Amino acid sequence: MFDFVVAGVVAPIFLLVFVGFTVGTVGGFIGVGGGYMVTPALIVFGFPGYMASGIDMTHIAGKGLVSTIRHRQLGNIDWTMALSMVAGTMLGVELGVRLLVYFKKLGISGVVLLLTSVVVMFSLFLYTQIETRRAHRKAEQMTRDGQKIAREIQTSNLPSYFQRIPFFPIVRCRTARVVVSMWVIVGVGVITGFLAGFLGVGGGFIRVPALVYLVGASTHIAVGTDLVEIVFSGGYGALRHSMEGHVDMMAVLFMILGAMFGAQFGSIATSYVRGPAIRYILSYSLILATCGAVLRLAYVLTGQSVEILSLLAVMLTLGEMIFLCLFIISLVLFAIRHRHGKSVPPWVPSLVV
Amino acid sequence: MAKRLRWFIDSMFGYWVLLLLISLGTAAGIYEVWLKGRM
Repeated sequence: MFDFVVAGVVAPIFLLVFVGFTVGTVGGFIGVGGGYMVTPALIVFGFPGYMASGIDMTHIAGKGLVSTIRHRQLGNIDWTMALSMVAGTMLGVELGVRLLVYFKKLGISGVVLLLTSVVVMFSLFLYTQIETRRAHRKAEQMTRDGQKIAREIQTSNLPSYFQRIPFFPIVRCRTARVVVSMWVIVGVGVITGFLAGFLGVGGGFIRVPALVYLVGASTHIAVGTDLVEIVFSGGYGALRHSMEGHVDMMAVLFMILGAMFGAQFGSIATSYVRGPAIRYILSYSLILATCGAVLRLAYVLTGQSVEILSLLAVMLTLGEMIFLCLFIISLVLFAIRHRHGKSVPPWVPSLVV
Repeated sequence: MAKRLRWFIDSMFGYWVLLLLISLGTAAGIYEVWLKGRM
């Protein structure tokens, strides 16, 4: 137990380091900040809501930087795409926050927010899961036929439509090997930023599928490029929260301690798997987060009287972090076994490199 | 019996279920040991 004087909370150090490690691993692997998992967890540990947001945002900035450096070394960042998207994201976030303020004035922000979260996350889960299953089956067929499989297998036709949009300037994203109108990238930034600003999240879980399915980047590049965005948004958020006195640096330090290892492990783990494996983990993260949001929505709609719903949402959030982290660790272990010619489950070879 | 248990490893959905059960169990353990009474 440690007395966090600024937050006025006594909490176990182990849990903060543990949350830092698990969310760091997941964030480095699927390119998200993980705020939708960390903030509820910190509130459960006893931190006030505003402190939880501040600590979360500050730790995301640090963790995002570690992951970004690792992904840069792995060649997973397309700077043209990242910097083009930043401008659109900023505009989108501003628009999203303004809409949220409007709904707040009407007094219905809580329900609208949770309902939108459920619809957005479930739709993304459905599309990602269906497409990834198709890609996985294709890869399995190729394995059976003895063909060589590339690191990325993607079966969606959407990128080809967006890449044909002829608006000037057309940019060549060299690392992603994509030629596309800059307005498509900026537009993706605006739409994903709008949803992120409205839902009050970093938006990585929206941007990564958008970069894959709309712009046509490979999953590895989408993850690395999105982490650059997270460094910008997390850094700005950390600065704003620090100025407002919403950050307990000791809590941030303990979380960063875990995240430092987790973020590096998660980033390096991407080099052991193919694109569909990352998209599978992303879709699992989305469906579990959707279930958590449904439970919170039910809790709000029942007038916050059925305490078991809130408790189940908390358990699901903690369980989700552990589940995703275990899945990533096991994929890496399976990949190592497969490389050494040892037996692995039949669904693994087409997902690992 | 052993054949049934193999389903948890050999099928991707089975592995998903296995890991989810382990994770939710661990989350319940964390709640019991550290968080009960704090909420």
